[in-house]
Amino acid sequence: MSNPQILSPANHSDLKVITDVGGHVGDNIQFVSTFALEFRNIQSSYPIFFTKNSETGEFYPIALFGFEANENLFLNDSGWDASYIPMMIKRQPFTIGYQGETDNEKRPVVTIDLESPRISETLGEALFDDKDQPSLFLKKIISQLEALHKGYEHNKDFIETLIKLDLLEPFSLEITLNDGSFNQLNGFYTINEDKLLDLDGATLADLNKSEYLQPIYMSIASYSRIKPLIDKKNNLI
Amino acid sequence: MNSKIKRIVIVGGGTAGWLSASIIASEHFSDDSNFELYLIESPDIPTIGVGEGTWPSMRTTLQKIGISETEFLIECDASFKQGTQFFNWTYGKNDTYSHPFTAPHLFNEKNLAPHWQQIKQNISFADAVCPQTPLFDNKQAPKNISTPEYAFNVNYGYHLDAAKFAELLRKHCVNNLGVTHVIANVMVINASDNGDIRSISTDTEGNIEGDLFIDCSGSRALLIGEHYKIPFKSKNKYLFNNCALAAQIPYTTAEDPIQSCTLSTAQSAGWIWDIGLPTRRGIGHVYSSDYNSDDNATTELLAYIKKTAGEKAAEMASVRKINFDPGHREKFWHKNCVAIGMSAGFIEPLEASALVLVELSATMIAEQLPANRKVMDIVAKRFNQKFNYRWDRIIDFLKLHYILTKRIDTDYWIDNCAKSSIPDSLQELLELWHYQVPWHRDNYHIDEMFPSASFQYVLYGMDFETQLNPLSNRTDREVGIRAHSMFADNAAHANQLLASLPTNRELLNKIQKYGLQKI
Repeated sequence: MSNPQILSPANHSDLKVITDVGGHVGDNIQFVSTFALEFRNIQSSYPIFFTKNSETGEFYPIALFGFEANENLFLNDSGWDASYIPMMIKRQPFTIGYQGETDNEKRPVVTIDLESPRISETLGEALFDDKDQPSLFLKKIISQLEALHKGYEHNKDFIETLIKLDLLEPFSLEITLNDGSFNQLNGFYTINEDKLLDLDGATLADLNKSEYLQPIYMSIASYSRIKPLIDKKNNLI
Repeated sequence: MNSKIKRIVIVGGGTAGWLSASIIASEHFSDDSNFELYLIESPDIPTIGVGEGTWPSMRTTLQKIGISETEFLIECDASFKQGTQFFNWTYGKNDTYSHPFTAPHLFNEKNLAPHWQQIKQNISFADAVCPQTPLFDNKQAPKNISTPEYAFNVNYGYHLDAAKFAELLRKHCVNNLGVTHVIANVMVINASDNGDIRSISTDTEGNIEGDLFIDCSGSRALLIGEHYKIPFKSKNKYLFNNCALAAQIPYTTAEDPIQSCTLSTAQSAGWIWDIGLPTRRGIGHVYSSDYNSDDNATTELLAYIKKTAGEKAAEMASVRKINFDPGHREKFWHKNCVAIGMSAGFIEPLEASALVLVELSATMIAEQLPANRKVMDIVAKRFNQKFNYRWDRIIDFLKLHYILTKRIDTDYWIDNCAKSSIPDSLQELLELWHYQVPWHRDNYHIDEMFPSASFQYVLYGMDFETQLNPLSNRTDREVGIRAHSMFADNAAHANQLLASLPTNRELLNKIQKYGLQKI
């Protein structure tokens, strides 16, 4: 369970945040949501797919870490074995909350999950200095959250465009591991490359102008990260 | 005679007219074809909304004609229908059974009905073989918000507002399918020398010529009845109901649960339907005027409303009466005119066969649209054979609900079981089913309206006894060995659905907010 609260020096001046990575701080997850603006970095290490929010049915992009629940094949004894760590992992245990009743009044605020295993009173980075001012660490987090907020907004139109152009298609990944065991990955969607190739020049120009064309191709390029992920899994057998 | 069929003219703009127009135009209209479809609708005649319940076939129909399910559900005030729950049909006292839309577990290959006989003291037939029926008590939906449009976890059709449905189809026809909407009254039907309809004269829009005319004018039957005088075959001797009282009842709060099924509750001489839409319920009493007075039928209806929606709802209810003669035309396609909807026939709404007949009729026209006038008579002959057969099957299946009753409390139920009121075809089947359970072998056609699954649900829901020797053949013996685990699989599936599916209300609220995805 999570327990997000609006961050304030009055309530949280004594808290520290552990910045390690690993299963002990809750990083043993199969995938994390990502942002089109981040795809260029993500595709260097992770396959990018799309999946549905189970509460709303809405699509969002994800970076894949494993082939079953709670499996993160990038975690090893020395930490997170990849050149880039997704924004949604790095921002933990902070999220953006929204304050205000109506859509107009709503403004983003920093919230912190007090149930996160990263929360500590002794270890890790302090959030506030002696004068209750944000620490350098927190300032960095705030700028990351701002980037996340921007990424989230950009995603909405990006996804809408993919749906409008019929560019998403369901797929199922079937993997037989070296020990003969069979894994099937369901509930994920990819870019439909046939439909992409059929788009006319004007549509492609629009996609390019709105900075959607690059992430579309970045996600296609990311499929080459599936094989290394399978290799990681085979190495564990 | 060799001229191409290019222009179709539909007379009448209710659900039948606009649904037929959508089905035919979506198959034949394209920007570069010279196919034309006109629909003439009177500005003066109100449509009566026939049928608020559909079959699962409507999902395929809507998808084919290119309507988004999200738009349909919102615009037509529609909800999900997963079957029918029957009350008091068998004994007249607190008895109930379900006819779900999902076929029994493994129904394509394995017949579990003979093996259910061994455990029938413990579990109803539907609960034993179908994972869907346990969802009905909690008013659960047949799918999740992440299930794509028209896909499902368990099979479903819809409950809908017929007037809003006709309006959605009209917009779709006119805006997307190239249908020309002519708002005018039909004045004269002009015949050619060969007896075909050449054109229709209207009061304000002149003469409308056509190659094929579709009569969707409702019970007036302007073309097939008034013009061609094709006789009407009453089926009142089999199906006694000929009156309906209809009311619309509001929910108490906006969050009241929405039923997963049509509820059908037997009365002294008929039955009451209860259909849950997102914003209201449609409740009505269909009965036989030979066995019940209007006053008593109204009293029974108001008692039901009072019991299920409260005293205030019963006091406020405005009840509309509809008379009908149950039956159909001797033939439906004559010369260059074909009847669809109430002009073709109408029987009581039990098992909601009105809209599905429109879908089937229009689909057959769309698929087999005669290339020219010369071959039209051949298509017409096949159409008439097929739909006469279909009406007979509907009558058999509806009548089955009445003859399995053990009720003897009124003449209506007693007379319904009299041999003279049962079609021969149904009597024969019933004789067979005393010794063998319904199965695919009972079908004459590949596209039977009612699969043997439906017969199983009704027969065994109403405590019909089939005397079996379960070891009599190899196939049954083989299934028998594994039947226990098949029933267990079905129960596990049901539990998984119970735990994962939202209520109808929750899902419809989410669809309002987020919509369903197309994939």
